[in-house]
Amino acid sequence: MSLPWTRRGILQGSAAGLATLSMPGFLAGCAKTGAHATMATPDNPFQQWFGIDEATIRRVMTELTSRGADHADLYFQHSRSNSVRLEDGLISQANASIDQGVGLRVVIGDQVGYAFTEDLTLQAMLGAAQTAAAIAQGSPVSPAATFQYGSGGSFYEIAVPWSEVGIHTKLPILERAAELAKAGDPAIDKVSVYWNDAEERILIADLLGNVYTDSRPMTRLWVSCTATKDGLTQSNGSNIAGRHGIDWYTDERLQTVAKQAVDRTMILFDAVRPSAGEMPVVLAAGASGILLHEAIGHGMEADFNRKGTSIYSEMLGRKVAPDFVTIVDDGTQPGERGALNLDDEGTPCEKTVLVENGVLASYLHDLISAKHYGLPQSTGSGRRESFRHTVMPRMRSTYMLNGPHTRDEIIASVDNGIIAETFTNGQVQIGAGDYTFYIKNGWLIENGKVTAPIKDVNIIGNGPESLRRVTMAANDFKLDTGGWTCGKNGQSVPVSQGLPTILVSSMTVGGADA
Amino acid sequence: MHDEQIQQAQTAVDLAQSAGADAAWASVSRSRSVDFTVRDGKLEEVKDATSRSLSIRLYVDGRYASTQTTDLRPDQVSAFVREVVDMTRALQPDPFRVLPDPELYEGRSTQDLELADPAIIQLTREDRLEICHNQNAELIGKDKVVSATSGCSDGHEVSAAASSNGFVGSQESTWLWLGSEVTVNDGGDKKPEAWMWGGSPNRSDVPNPQAIATLALKRAHDRLGTVKGPTALTKMVVDPSATSRLLGRLLSPATGRGLQQGRSFWAGKLGVPTVSDILHITDEPLLKRGLSSRLYDGEGIAAKSMPLIQGGALQNFYIDTYYGRKLDMAPTTGSASNRVVSPGQRDLAGIISDMDDGIYVTSWLGGNADSTTGDFSFGLRGHLIQGGQLGGPVGEMNITGNLLTLFSKLIEVGNDPWPYSRILCPTLVFDQVQFSGA
Repeated sequence: MSLPWTRRGILQGSAAGLATLSMPGFLAGCAKTGAHATMATPDNPFQQWFGIDEATIRRVMTELTSRGADHADLYFQHSRSNSVRLEDGLISQANASIDQGVGLRVVIGDQVGYAFTEDLTLQAMLGAAQTAAAIAQGSPVSPAATFQYGSGGSFYEIAVPWSEVGIHTKLPILERAAELAKAGDPAIDKVSVYWNDAEERILIADLLGNVYTDSRPMTRLWVSCTATKDGLTQSNGSNIAGRHGIDWYTDERLQTVAKQAVDRTMILFDAVRPSAGEMPVVLAAGASGILLHEAIGHGMEADFNRKGTSIYSEMLGRKVAPDFVTIVDDGTQPGERGALNLDDEGTPCEKTVLVENGVLASYLHDLISAKHYGLPQSTGSGRRESFRHTVMPRMRSTYMLNGPHTRDEIIASVDNGIIAETFTNGQVQIGAGDYTFYIKNGWLIENGKVTAPIKDVNIIGNGPESLRRVTMAANDFKLDTGGWTCGKNGQSVPVSQGLPTILVSSMTVGGADA
Repeated sequence: MHDEQIQQAQTAVDLAQSAGADAAWASVSRSRSVDFTVRDGKLEEVKDATSRSLSIRLYVDGRYASTQTTDLRPDQVSAFVREVVDMTRALQPDPFRVLPDPELYEGRSTQDLELADPAIIQLTREDRLEICHNQNAELIGKDKVVSATSGCSDGHEVSAAASSNGFVGSQESTWLWLGSEVTVNDGGDKKPEAWMWGGSPNRSDVPNPQAIATLALKRAHDRLGTVKGPTALTKMVVDPSATSRLLGRLLSPATGRGLQQGRSFWAGKLGVPTVSDILHITDEPLLKRGLSSRLYDGEGIAAKSMPLIQGGALQNFYIDTYYGRKLDMAPTTGSASNRVVSPGQRDLAGIISDMDDGIYVTSWLGGNADSTTGDFSFGLRGHLIQGGQLGGPVGEMNITGNLLTLFSKLIEVGNDPWPYSRILCPTLVFDQVQFSGA
């Protein structure tokens, strides 16, 4: 449904050059069952996945390129999603959804014509193709006469497809998670658990006759707690997510996420606000990779750079951080949210080095920006939220490699600062380079020792300045398993992030008193 | 009106009941939207979308589930609904899950809210290009401009809903938004960006392209030379266009769900003076040409004006049927429409000219608030205020505190509400706000 306000919300993000990262609470769900779905790609995915034949594809592609094209593609998608919620001890709310359609794109230089339809009849697809083709004003281009089927990596093969997992198998997992959280502390008086599993089938057919397919699973479990103590109420939660199957939900994993939800809630009763102003900030290993996502990742997406609107537009090859800083964006980590066998233009994903030993090394490219920069291929970073959206360069899993220090050395070096552990969201201004992230849980560091817990403070800094101020990095790298979602120009895509413990020598911390 | 969509919704209700549901609610929508983007004088992107969807809420043997699909082939829809009915039977019974009391459907307004404008439905490619180029022409080649992108986005939607306990309704809306984003060179690597968007359901209320572009350029130029602001406890003046972020966070926990789940700082405060007594806010679903106007809400409850905050005291929670039954409170409406803040006497310029010392906030960057406690921390950009004058631009700052405390220190509401928001709020002035900066 497209209400005026949601349209504007989308455009605001686009227009403001803002990009956000968030861990939204209970997202509206997407996907489950489908008796005919399989993880293996069928011999004829056009027919078996979407009920269309190759002649139809050629007919639509011919229409799509009837006024010229440098590149053109059809992006077919079928998604099934299932979500279930446990609240007040009852599993009494479930959602099942199906979303399918095709997005049609014509590219001329850096100009894009785009249309989509949820109706996969020839007539509807031809209508959409004519609409998208209107961007061009040249001569017709003939699509390839034959198809060749390409494939990418295999980073999320799961034993049982979600389409074959019945709801009866899922319910005990929600109940167990709730039971563990409820038992975690006598002060916990409300527990809610949210479950989602989803499966997307993707088929990309391009002008050159290349056909790529992928089947992408995703699941998330979120545990939330509310506790009351001495007349005060606090709430918080924790979640785990990835491209995994049902067997990923081991009892050990459930115990971990339930304990995190309880601990992160109960610590809030004792938490204080740090003082306001600039101070050293230690970022704990794991979710603190949010720093990289905001301070450098978005600014390295090549669409901003080819337009000259990123603070990093003229910085390739420049020294931007100390020698021990190497930052990568990687689509090849098995089972992670940011993993992709191939990107949404059919390019196999790779591990792209953004910063190598302190030197700015590469932007993140889609096909349009790779061509703009004269590169032989994209970095496999062309992504889209769904068939309703055009492709943009996006992050996948962004992290920093281990450094030469230890966590203890880093903490001992701080006289008066904070250590940040859990986060809810972040945001960046691409051109000015200012970015923020919000700390939900952390600690004060006083005279080299971790002391009181802290809560609810926003951190603000400038990307290139913060990279220069990464003065120490430890050897305890950790990838975060929380379900991060990155928003850019109104499109949300799943991402991952990680970090070893690092020290940023000065950042502006939102505090309660001067 | 919209007989075809109403028929589709009623067919879906029948389908759900024949598949075994005791009760059902169905809604269908069909929309078309078009986006044009022009960058630096050249058409960059055209996106044209025709979209449709079906949503059904199912009540089966005291159990509940919801479903959406965009695959509307009749055989696929029936198979899917049967599958979801089976899934619903696997859930636990919940006595609070029922369709709304049909009495709440009664009394729906019959007035024309002017939400659908034929002039928008009839926009042509040439109209849209003109809107974009007229904005972009005001920006290309102007002082320090690195890149300028101008766009327009319009659409038309018809939705209809029906329920097994007698609800039938349909709504039609259009929208046209236009906006520009400008990136300017600040010397060195910094390239501050700014934007401006405005729009309306009715073309005659849409601002003119030149005015939009001029304001976007002014906002970008205003960021040149931004320095880190001070750490200080001082007055905060919030531009009307930035107020909705604060008010949204203040009002979002005032829901039945938040209250029942122990996640609302408004718990126990209904009718109790809690924030500044100059704050008055009303939920107004029946505003003509309002961005969130409607005749009925997502459950079919007939829309009516609802006081939210009067004299600093919360007057109503947003309560839907489910949480109303759980809380033993009467449903109001489960979701917000237009929120209108009662205006005061002066505009932004008048307020600043009378202020010795403070910080004027033009926009926010990141930050969050805890809906259970009200504790917040937000990043911001703006200007210093000194001796009744606006000073240079400042950034890289946060404000931190508690929302109820912040709004208890609201000392003035302006008379200049921002029209391009679901929350129609004028300039706000707060005393003793904690800023952190250099």
